[in-house]
Amino acid sequence: MEVDKDDKDDLGVAGSGLLGAAGSDDVGVTEGSAALGGPLQDEKDTQSSEFVLRSDSVRSYAESIGLSTNQIGEEAIIFMSRNLRQILQDASRIMFHGKREYLMAKDIDMALKASGLEPLYGSVAGEHIPFRFASGGGRELHFGDDKEIELTDLSAAPIPKVPMGVSLRAHWLAIEGVQPAIPDNPPAQSKDQLQQESSNPLTKLNNPDAKENKLSQVLQSKPTKLKNMETVNVKQLATHELSVEQQLYYKEITEACVGSDEGRRAEALQSLACDPGLHQMLPRLCTFIAEGVRVNVVQHNLAILIYLMRMVKSLLENQTLFLEKYLHELIPAVITCIVSRQLCTRPDVDNHWALRDFASRLMANICKNFNTSTNSVQIRITRMFSEAMKNVKSPLVAHYGAIAGLQELGPEVIKVFIVPHIKYIADRVDQANDPNIMASSMGNIDKIAATHIRNLIIKSVSPVLKGIRPPPDILEEYKAEYGSFGPLLHAAVTRLRQSSKTSSSSSGSASGSSSGGVGGNVPSARSVMPGSNPVMGQPGNQQPRIYVMSTNATSGVQNTPVQMVMSPTVGTPSPTNASGQPRMMIQTPGGGVQGVFIQPQNPQ
Amino acid sequence: MAAVPSPPTPTSSPAPLPSPLPPSASASASNPTPAPLIMPSAIKKEEPDSELSRVLKFLQENQLGDAAEKVKRAFATSSPSTASSSSAATGIKTEPATPNVGSQPNNVLASYESEGDPRLYERVYHDLVEFVHNSLDLYRHELALILYPVFVHMYLELIYNSHESTGKDFLDRFSVIQETFFQEDIKKLSFISKKEHMAGSELMENFQTSQFTVRMSRDTYSQLRQQKKYMSEKKYTILWNIIQEHLYLDVYEGIARNKGQIVSTAGGVVGEANRQANRTKIFHGLPKEPDLANYLSVAAESEDPGEEGDKAKKKKAKKDLSFLRKQRNDPNAPSANRMPFPELKDGDKIEKAKKYRELQKRLRLTNESLPSACFYTVLNAKESVTAVELSDDSTLIALGFANASVQVWSLLPYKLKPLKPAETLMDIDQDADDVFHRMMDDNKGEAFKEFLGHSGPVYGLSFDPNKDFLISCSEDGSIRLWSLQTWTCIVNFRGHMSPVWQVLFSPLGYYFASCGHDKTARLWSTEQSQSLRIFAGHFSDVDCIAFHPNGNYVASGSSDRSVRLWDCVTGACVRLMTGHKKSISCVQFSVDGRFLVTGGEDRRILVWDVVYGHLLGDFESHGKRIIALGFSRGGSTLASASFDNSIKLWNFEKFTSELNLEEVNVTHNPNVDKDSKRLHMATFYTKDTGIAGLHFTRRNLLIGVGAFH
Repeated sequence: MEVDKDDKDDLGVAGSGLLGAAGSDDVGVTEGSAALGGPLQDEKDTQSSEFVLRSDSVRSYAESIGLSTNQIGEEAIIFMSRNLRQILQDASRIMFHGKREYLMAKDIDMALKASGLEPLYGSVAGEHIPFRFASGGGRELHFGDDKEIELTDLSAAPIPKVPMGVSLRAHWLAIEGVQPAIPDNPPAQSKDQLQQESSNPLTKLNNPDAKENKLSQVLQSKPTKLKNMETVNVKQLATHELSVEQQLYYKEITEACVGSDEGRRAEALQSLACDPGLHQMLPRLCTFIAEGVRVNVVQHNLAILIYLMRMVKSLLENQTLFLEKYLHELIPAVITCIVSRQLCTRPDVDNHWALRDFASRLMANICKNFNTSTNSVQIRITRMFSEAMKNVKSPLVAHYGAIAGLQELGPEVIKVFIVPHIKYIADRVDQANDPNIMASSMGNIDKIAATHIRNLIIKSVSPVLKGIRPPPDILEEYKAEYGSFGPLLHAAVTRLRQSSKTSSSSSGSASGSSSGGVGGNVPSARSVMPGSNPVMGQPGNQQPRIYVMSTNATSGVQNTPVQMVMSPTVGTPSPTNASGQPRMMIQTPGGGVQGVFIQPQNPQ
Repeated sequence: MAAVPSPPTPTSSPAPLPSPLPPSASASASNPTPAPLIMPSAIKKEEPDSELSRVLKFLQENQLGDAAEKVKRAFATSSPSTASSSSAATGIKTEPATPNVGSQPNNVLASYESEGDPRLYERVYHDLVEFVHNSLDLYRHELALILYPVFVHMYLELIYNSHESTGKDFLDRFSVIQETFFQEDIKKLSFISKKEHMAGSELMENFQTSQFTVRMSRDTYSQLRQQKKYMSEKKYTILWNIIQEHLYLDVYEGIARNKGQIVSTAGGVVGEANRQANRTKIFHGLPKEPDLANYLSVAAESEDPGEEGDKAKKKKAKKDLSFLRKQRNDPNAPSANRMPFPELKDGDKIEKAKKYRELQKRLRLTNESLPSACFYTVLNAKESVTAVELSDDSTLIALGFANASVQVWSLLPYKLKPLKPAETLMDIDQDADDVFHRMMDDNKGEAFKEFLGHSGPVYGLSFDPNKDFLISCSEDGSIRLWSLQTWTCIVNFRGHMSPVWQVLFSPLGYYFASCGHDKTARLWSTEQSQSLRIFAGHFSDVDCIAFHPNGNYVASGSSDRSVRLWDCVTGACVRLMTGHKKSISCVQFSVDGRFLVTGGEDRRILVWDVVYGHLLGDFESHGKRIIALGFSRGGSTLASASFDNSIKLWNFEKFTSELNLEEVNVTHNPNVDKDSKRLHMATFYTKDTGIAGLHFTRRNLLIGVGAFH
């Protein structure tokens, strides 16, 4: 009986510590394993002996309440373990009745109370209790951190905000069995599902919903005909009908995004970035962006292009959308905004550089999110940029775009694709600065471009150079390797080295993994880009170039029955409205501007 | 004394005591109410004679001679009749506990006394496993049922005789071959590693006070008997002793069950229900509704005053009447006076009539016309909402919190108003038409009212059908009755000494039931502070309860993985249903009273036939523990909510229409319908809101309530 009492005291004093010492898995398992039954159900494989507390931890508790360790026998340890388990099981029951899935300190308090023990007052922590670990003298110990709190600090501290009162909020979870796509509800289609559908459109056929479809029934009953009919069927399934509300929403969003009201645009972009349930409108939105870029590049409408890129950004941010299906529309549009020869009416004054930088960041983001071994987006993008950069005929602004696009893709890409060509770029820049060409206005534009390129190169390349070049920086070497950029790069690298020395950051190189790459010439650079040129507009054309990349041949969106007439002249006399704000017009074949201009094509 | 859990006796319960439920109309404070009755099932057969005599003396002192007589008779016949009836029925010599076992409670353990060589146990058990595995497929699964109880008792025998290390080896070696749903119990068992530990363990108590029930066909049993001849060496006596003393083999005529059937009903802490446990007739029908013809027109008037002409009104009333007349007398319904209920008042009848008018306008739920669902999210109450309840007419919602408070919110735009103080009430003209309106204090209307009184988390809430009262139960062991007129606490019911998990008003009002950590469920009335019945028999916490629609029965689900049905009139356990593999978290009767639906921690929703206690359906589709179940008005659809943040709808009408209930009888187990996909109608996921309660409005709008995580 005496042992019994001691044990209970022990539990009372150091109960929370016991949990930690019993092995963190004990606590971890009780948390969130309600679905799997008893709190200890998960530990099926472990032997029963592991439920027993370790003898040294029991001894340390005993010491903490002034018992000599000799008094604690094996018996007491088993007894304590049993009691502890009993309490944990009671606590897990209390946890369930509290409608929770994770155990809280108060559950254990109540379990102690229910079994007639004194609860552990004061151990109720709002957050996770951090356990510290200490070892020494061959013993290991877990203990809770017990901070000392200065009473004066506590009394002087401002009174915390009163927590908000309980309130009720109602929303429609389902309307006649269908869950409406509102922020209160989870997205109708999970991201995995969308991904599955985009990678394998046939899965849709196996969907229970599709089974009602007559054609698919035919398909399923006669598998021999599957091959012939497959394409027809997939097309048919890809038709989307938008509800009136969705059409209104689409109209509002697109108008707000390219309109003149900055406040509305912010709201619209916010909506694109956050709202679930946009996936039905996604094909339209992507077409809107792609077509919008196509038209406004011709028009040199810098503002609209920026707005469209901001839409792309919002769509990328939306966690509920899966954009892979629409990359073939988005990527060309974004790339156009990066490398197009002219994006604005007055290239010498307007800040189209910002658009190119912004679009480059978007591109890098797309590569980061959607690059897979099958679509190899990043490889193709990189290859295209580097081709554009090396092209002698393309103007300097396009060079700038290509470099900007490449340098966003990370230090490794800079090392392989930019560093070896710095000299060539430097030569082009020198040509632009040649006073003989300066005479024309074109020369002026090129000069500005040259300045931007120089700044960009120095900003992005110097950290990489610092990593790949061994420390003694010799000006002559730099000059030889990087041409006219040599001195500038030399200065920047030296500065970087000094600052890193003074800030005593111990970490090594920026690009880390590179070790053998002395100098800028990496002989294997070309082997990274196998194959031929990607599909790409011919440089030197007078037409604005749209780079088209196909991502997925089976993607169903080319079938999306969108009828759009894009004309800057029909409908309104001028593409610029009264406020001077450029507008893009989208028209129905029937004429007249309507919000509803997407008609699902009638199959057959 | 009554709270001591006792085993379900294999014999039919002793003759029911005359149970004078207080006739509500006459019950007044001055009359001394009868002492709480001792439940027949709660009387331990093994009670020593001295205790029996004390009971008899107590009964005689209280002028309950009749009851005393019956107790005496029942006690005198119980033990011998058990043996004789079971052996007569089955012709086998397995008998319940030998007489000397129970003479003193402590001696239950003594039956583990054995001189057997500890080393033999492993060999013997191994041979038994071999025998089961080598037996014919037809019998193997039924024979396998004895493996677990034999395993447990062998281990306990080893421990009792101080062979600790052998016991541990035995446990380690054979625990892996036991069914997964017993593993949890085995882990508890592993903590009994000394003779001294055997007292005080919940699991131990269950095993020592009851025999593990195993049902097997006659053929299977004869297999076992034959085997006994082969295993007749001396070392096998330990095995046969255990089977004889600690197992109750319930032998039935007919072919052995197949694996699926066995698995579906296995899982109880002390085995399955034996046949006798589910023999009692149950009145599962619904009583005839009171005549509401006169009130329907009143209800109609109050609903749409002056909108329709007299003619239209009469027509409507007639239509309603025809609806009521269609009700036939259900042969399965209990007689109206089987359980006394207070007379309905005029106001109640009008309220009822209103309800029927509403119900007539309800949406018929089918696969084509799915219900709409409205979800109420409780904001700023992270981790603290412990109970949720909506009133039957869906106008009030009650929330119970972990901080011991209860809040009642109005779901209509009206404010909640208290009664005026007594002095002003005196002045009100009692004959005025709008007397109820005038009684309310308009100045003190609030959007919600808060009740403070409990001292622990509030785990259960229930509205009185007339919306006069709210009842709540709490971790502090108390049950409180709150008035929704004065918004104050009226009664504090004491009886449970440990947390009360759920409390529930009878569908007809006046009575309510509670269940809790003390392994009992109790029946109370609003007029008496003592409980009327104590339903004892579960081996672990009673986690959930449900009232039968006719108010005569209470179903309870427990952590001992069994569902029991209790008769409120006799207090006896009339059905014992096993099949859940983990603890049960919610129970619900179907609207017609024929079926019982339970959901558990094992993620399954089981449907039971109340008439015979058979398992009929098994819907397994949720990803986590089931929290709540609800039937649509009309009973065609079952809604289930789970910890996986989803609400699923099931086509219950289709399920029942496809059942062939004619063929079913007591001994013949029907096949369990496991095709949950066929019956699944819809799934609604919440974003990240745990669901705490489900409710169907009278027009079949589904309402879910939960707290945002």
